Amino acid sequence: MLVPVFTLKLNHKINPRMVAVGKYDGVHPCLTAATQIGKVFIHNPYSRGQRESALRMMQSNQDSDVSLLNINQTVSCLTSGVLNPQLGCDSLVVGTQTNLLAYDVFNNSDLFYKEIADGANATVLGNLGDISSPLAIIGGNCALQGFDHKGNDLFWTVTGDIVRSLALCDFDGDGKKELLVGSEDFDIRVFKEDEIVTEMTETETITTLCPMNGNRFGYALSNGTVGVYDRTVRYWRIKSKNYATSIHAFDLNSDGVRELITGWSNGKIDARSDRTGEVIFKDNFTSSIAGVVEGDYRMDGNPQLICCSVDGEVRGYLPSSQEMKGNMMDTSVEQELVRELSQKKQNLLLELRNYEENTKVELNGQMSEVDCQMGVIPANTQLQTTLSVNLGSDTQSCHVELTISTSNDSIIRAVLIFAEGIFEGESHVIHPSLQNLSTRIRVPILPPKDVPVDLHIKAFVGYKGSTQFHVFELTRQLPRFSMYAFCRPGSALEPKSFVKFTISERVQRVVMWLNQNFLLLGETEIQNAPFQICFTSLRGAGLLSMKMKASGEISVNTDDMDLAGDIIQSLASFLAIEDLQVEADFPTYFERLRKVLLKVDEYHSVHQKLTADMADRSNLIRSMLVQAEDARLLRDMKNMKKRYMELNDLNKDLINGYKICCNNHSELLGNLKEVNQAIQRAGRLRVGKPKTQVITACRDAIRNNNVNMLFRIMRIGMASS
Amino acid sequence: MELNLNRVDYIQVGVTSPKTMRLLPASGRRATQKVVIGDHNGVVTCFGIKKGEAMPVFKSLPGQKISRLDLGGALNTPQEKIFVAIGSEIRGFTKRGKQFLSFETNLTESIKAMHISGADLFLCASYIFNHYCDCKDQHYYLSGDKINDVMCLSAEKLSRITPILACQDRVLRVLQGSDLMYEVEVPGPPTVLGLHNGDGGDSGEDLLFGTSDGKLGLIQITQAYPVHKWETINEKKRGGVLCIDSFDILGDGVKELLVGRDDGMVEIYSFDSANDPVLRYDQAFSESIMSIQGGCVGKDGYDEILTATYSGWVTGLSTEPAHKEAGPGDELKISQEMQNKIASLRSELEQLQFKVLQEREKYQQSAQSSTAVSAVPVFSVNEKFTLNRDDASYSLILEVQTAIDNVLVQSDVPVDLLDVDKNSAVVSFSGCDSEPNGNFLLATYRCQANTTRLELKIRSIEGQYGTLQAYITPRIQPKTCQVRQYQIKPLSLHQRTHVIEHDRPMNTLTLTGQFSFGEVHSWVVFCMPEVPEKTPVGESVTFYFQNTFLDTQLECTYRKGEGVFKSDNISTISILKDVLSKEATKKKINLNISYDINEDSVKHTLKMIHPKLEHQLLLAKKVQLIDALKELQIHEGNMDFLIPEYRGILEESDQLLQEYKKQPAHLERLYGMITDLFIDKFKFKGTNVKSKVPVLLEILDSYDQNSLMTFFDTA
Repeated sequence: MLVPVFTLKLNHKINPRMVAVGKYDGVHPCLTAATQIGKVFIHNPYSRGQRESALRMMQSNQDSDVSLLNINQTVSCLTSGVLNPQLGCDSLVVGTQTNLLAYDVFNNSDLFYKEIADGANATVLGNLGDISSPLAIIGGNCALQGFDHKGNDLFWTVTGDIVRSLALCDFDGDGKKELLVGSEDFDIRVFKEDEIVTEMTETETITTLCPMNGNRFGYALSNGTVGVYDRTVRYWRIKSKNYATSIHAFDLNSDGVRELITGWSNGKIDARSDRTGEVIFKDNFTSSIAGVVEGDYRMDGNPQLICCSVDGEVRGYLPSSQEMKGNMMDTSVEQELVRELSQKKQNLLLELRNYEENTKVELNGQMSEVDCQMGVIPANTQLQTTLSVNLGSDTQSCHVELTISTSNDSIIRAVLIFAEGIFEGESHVIHPSLQNLSTRIRVPILPPKDVPVDLHIKAFVGYKGSTQFHVFELTRQLPRFSMYAFCRPGSALEPKSFVKFTISERVQRVVMWLNQNFLLLGETEIQNAPFQICFTSLRGAGLLSMKMKASGEISVNTDDMDLAGDIIQSLASFLAIEDLQVEADFPTYFERLRKVLLKVDEYHSVHQKLTADMADRSNLIRSMLVQAEDARLLRDMKNMKKRYMELNDLNKDLINGYKICCNNHSELLGNLKEVNQAIQRAGRLRVGKPKTQVITACRDAIRNNNVNMLFRIMRIGMASS
Repeated sequence: MELNLNRVDYIQVGVTSPKTMRLLPASGRRATQKVVIGDHNGVVTCFGIKKGEAMPVFKSLPGQKISRLDLGGALNTPQEKIFVAIGSEIRGFTKRGKQFLSFETNLTESIKAMHISGADLFLCASYIFNHYCDCKDQHYYLSGDKINDVMCLSAEKLSRITPILACQDRVLRVLQGSDLMYEVEVPGPPTVLGLHNGDGGDSGEDLLFGTSDGKLGLIQITQAYPVHKWETINEKKRGGVLCIDSFDILGDGVKELLVGRDDGMVEIYSFDSANDPVLRYDQAFSESIMSIQGGCVGKDGYDEILTATYSGWVTGLSTEPAHKEAGPGDELKISQEMQNKIASLRSELEQLQFKVLQEREKYQQSAQSSTAVSAVPVFSVNEKFTLNRDDASYSLILEVQTAIDNVLVQSDVPVDLLDVDKNSAVVSFSGCDSEPNGNFLLATYRCQANTTRLELKIRSIEGQYGTLQAYITPRIQPKTCQVRQYQIKPLSLHQRTHVIEHDRPMNTLTLTGQFSFGEVHSWVVFCMPEVPEKTPVGESVTFYFQNTFLDTQLECTYRKGEGVFKSDNISTISILKDVLSKEATKKKINLNISYDINEDSVKHTLKMIHPKLEHQLLLAKKVQLIDALKELQIHEGNMDFLIPEYRGILEESDQLLQEYKKQPAHLERLYGMITDLFIDKFKFKGTNVKSKVPVLLEILDSYDQNSLMTFFDTA
């Protein structure tokens, strides 16, 4: 059994996920964490009370070995590591919603302090790809930025949604680090510098990522899932009702392979084998875990695993020694094994008994009342499922319909569908009332996103009045574009927006893709090009029309730019196309974007004006306060009262001004996000190199404030005329 | 002394009932004892441990399920005859496994509890107690509520025979012959009885009891009256007590109290100088502990606590150290034993697997035939659905022999599912359509591997009644699921009690009409929890209840043709009126309902609510302040500048937060009940005041007792 080698009680709250260990003087590791009211504390047990309070740093009154760093804004992310290799020690990087601070703790000076329009939700420090100097990379509102120690912006790209987690990992085994980005649209994207290499779709917001052994990495989602990927393949995952606040890779059992250490919201901490997910160690804290890091905190050459809870409890664990043979749990392995085997035996015996009893009943022949209660059903009962598109009625909106029916007179008591990402929780239940029981159940499904989903269906089959039911389990896949209903071409006006590209593939392959990704039910018999096929969106987003010419030119007409992007990405991966240049035009969307860009300018200028106003007012306050105090000293009560009234009014004005400023800022953020998303969307219309080109070119256009160029790039996919 | 016990798993039998495992007294030269256990397959297994392996002594043939197992024999001789209760039959086995007795009792129901003392046999069915001597009927008693256990004070110490029944209505009934000597009220429904020290202590009259809400107590049963010695309050919210035993595991010459609970807790209590129990050791198992006994089983010279769990695991907690500090050769031998055990298990498994594969194929082939049927035997579910007094919520505990795959919870009344810390299953709420399928709650619990026990917490609202259903699917092929139903009664938050205050202002509801005693009883059963389903004997009956949330009370007295319901809470009367008239209409019985409303009762109820409400409001306010105060503390470095009140909040912030967390939505529930009270008060006057509810809520938001009272008076 592994016990902590040290325990600390720091009298500071720790914000979840904002914990790091840094050697700020190059020698002594210090635990650094963000705490309440915009402060960061640095715990340095090796330099008791040596440092004076100065600049940002402030010695804590309570503990001599804790110093506090005033950030004066809510800290949103924090990390430490080598940013300037010449310095020979670690630097601290602190991100807030508007700024990024790189700080040299030892010299108590800023390395740089940058304003970040997109905010910093996550940060990571290290070398990325071929960029020579270490970068402090931050992820914010759909944007990723990387700064070197001088504050030069050396890396910039966009991603699909608000970034929640970042990690550096040698994903493809080329010896260079790639950037893993987890965002709120449930995607993990891998960037090789500014090129997206792969995307993996998960089922919830990715809250944490961490590199493991080789090209493996661990991830955690906001719904309580924790798992490990090996490149693009998910190795294992587990789900708990609690959620993981922090994950870290550490070799706890000294077998040379790092395990995934997870800190949970309920205060649990566990270490799982990176291959199987099997728990090899666990411990409990009294409050939620804030962070899991590692460092040689005892300075004896053996790095420890350091776990912190939100209440400031810190425990350090040393890897187990060889004698323990990796056995860190309470019970002996053999006992556990015997128990497991016996349990298996018991299960098999039970199953055997089930079959025996079954044959007994069969021999008895006739079904009786009791059998009905027991849920005896004919052995040849089968469950049939069909997926179709229901165009809805007055009372129901249109949806995808899953029909489940039995092959005889047995009824379906209830249906449980476990599927990720398409229901509120992880499951959906249909439980008809007693009088509505029948042999058939229709389940309306409304997937919110165009992703292929596996539906794990469990149907309880029996008779009315049964207390025991047979459980039929089967899995159906919901195709990616199931929310698009087939319709005759020409039934509605074709959308003006389109994307156009040429592929050199046989028509049959494209048709195969169509059949796999849409719910077609044999309504089409396309044999050869040219052909046209039309769908209507069940989400009310209008018509989708696809045409293919004999030359291999495909055009997709839809007003939904995301859908066009999805179709291109899906088709490209199906046909294994590496690079694809696409011509696109989305007049309505571009018009909207143009307005957004105008608004961004507007908000920027309003922001400047408001800040100037504020400064003016605060000057006024200063003078007024002096006047009022003067009046008080002179016992001129009347004037004093007047001044203070004025001061009160001014204060109200100031607060109002601040509120306006806040609104303005959030509007600005929203619009900036939209701009970033637009670039991302334009990128998604292309595949491979052209995709990267579009994103970089768009960035340049925005930097140069060349709106027309921006739209041109989005249309034809390149900058040069 | 630090107690270190090591867990050893011996064997697994079928599903067991409480009190079905005993240790045979050691005989001959051997100091280790043999274990007898009876399971639901009807098999009595007797085994001893040799070199860490279970060596069977005998095994009886399968049959009906065994509900109790006990040892007996002539008084003052070793108790080594084995008696089991199967259905309504008692069978006796010698310690070698020879059946010497088969006694078919005249009971119509199956036996629920059994006690043996010499030639005397005490048996209980649901409500009936029978005393046999040499298999001849001696005495008989009909209890008012379900009997959970029976015990008789030691006949070796006392000359008299005093059977004691543990009854579901929180009462121990002490009998003499066929007559009730007296009743003893205990703090919870007693589930198990035991003799203190194994023989009733010095006086021979000390009786231990355990309740289904986890409390323990000791009562001296004298000939005239009971003497309460001590009671524990189950502070840690542990599970219900299923079995108790006395054994000196510490080796200090005094017998400790061993307790097994339904949440898998095994506890050892020793006694301090005042003879009060002190918890010395506890260990959590993953399933209900059905039987417990101390003895020497695994190895000569090492005492241990032997337990049997619901799924039939016989597990010891041994004082024998797991890794002995002997020479390296010894170590090797132990692991060799283990290796052999594992190897034999593995080969056994392989054979089984092969057999199962064959059978599975056969089963699948039968799907081709049109005449074959698929019938899977019913698996047994251990369930408990009880009202918790402390937070006025129901807890539902489901336990299955094998791992549970998932549980679907469905309800046709609005109830809230609360989170239970112990429960590791992933819960997912599904959207439900109250029309046309009448679902108000659809939730799935997907269990983690090896979960055999699931605990849920449910909060109900009084006045809204219906059924909660749980569909349990275990991880066993062929997959089946079983549905269990639980009634949410109209007055779901009421609990039976035996005394009420008579001087409170009461509202009265009187029913008269052409109905039988049985009918009116069935209505009461329908409305109230914890009422025995059997119609009570006699002409009329009175039950008392207490509202666990508000502490208001209800008195029901009824007989053929008349029922009188008195409560100080007008909402309780209103709910009863609605439900009773609905029920009577369903049965087409003409009812005359009259009520007598006492205006003072509303004021009285509000006064009862007042301290609770005030406490909650204050708590909410304090909790709100904690974070801000903590920030200040960090900012300023100390808290000397704060007023004492705020300093107090900071000091006790942890307790405050804990209390706040423990009772979610408490304030909302209080508000809801006050609103009901308001509506009901005017409903009896014939006015509908629903439109004034927003005003009431406004008053509650800035609560002040007087203004609330005035509002109730004037509105």
